[in-house]
Amino acid sequence: MVFQDTIKLAPQGKGASDITGPIRDIIRDSKIKTGSCQLFVHNSQSRLLIHDTVDEATKEQTVDFLAQLAPGRDDSVNLINDSMEAIPASMYTAVTQTTIAFPVSRGKPLLGIWQGIFLWERTTEPKERILTITIIGE
Amino acid sequence: MIYQQKLRFSTKGRGTYNISEQIQECIDKSGIKSGICNLFIQHTSASLILCENADKTVREDLDAYMAKLVKDGDSMYKHQDEGPDDMAAHIRTILTQSALSIPIYKGRCDLGMWQGIFLWEHRTNFHKRNVSITIMGE
Repeated sequence: MVFQDTIKLAPQGKGASDITGPIRDIIRDSKIKTGSCQLFVHNSQSRLLIHDTVDEATKEQTVDFLAQLAPGRDDSVNLINDSMEAIPASMYTAVTQTTIAFPVSRGKPLLGIWQGIFLWERTTEPKERILTITIIGE
Repeated sequence: MIYQQKLRFSTKGRGTYNISEQIQECIDKSGIKSGICNLFIQHTSASLILCENADKTVREDLDAYMAKLVKDGDSMYKHQDEGPDDMAAHIRTILTQSALSIPIYKGRCDLGMWQGIFLWEHRTNFHKRNVSITIMGE
């Protein structure tokens, strides 16, 4: 059985926001008990991360690290000028994910106890985002 | 048809561990001849990679490269509750994969001749790691 849904995520500012709750609800409503769930975000600026949920600082530090790895216009004004913002944005896409997949068991996402699903936004201009969720199972 | 199983691995500190054989054993058990094998690690300080399997110095170099890229105990980290390797392990996980998807062809994990499936432990201490396997096919 295949269940597919496309949802809109409200515009959010720069940073990572936990979307585990809505994903959990969709999996429950799909009635699929055992299988695999795939998420795909329809733009390259926002990224999907499976991250630690315990300490808020870990998420901030990861985002800071990625910002240092490929500084954007607002991260390091000395290094990158306005016209070059697209370059670091594309570097992020090489080291982070547009799509993630995780198992579904007993009608729930089978995540580790400290794992959460996050949408990470790089942009300084918040936009509504489209996410497709495909659940295959029985 | 769907087959799901959880595997548990003991790691002996930072480094890569070849888990290809155990994954193949699960595929054998499932009886599925053609389909997809999805792997998911339920931790945020260890990850899954596909890597060269012949020369172990490749993976030693990979670890050395990662140690240079993501410094243990970097003064920028706020989260150091469990030691200098704690935050670095979370970042290393984000830069690699929590999930892998591999085709199954004629009942075999259809890897390239020199590809292996590795669990990459990012913490310096011993850990128990859960990897869940979802096999879909017929």
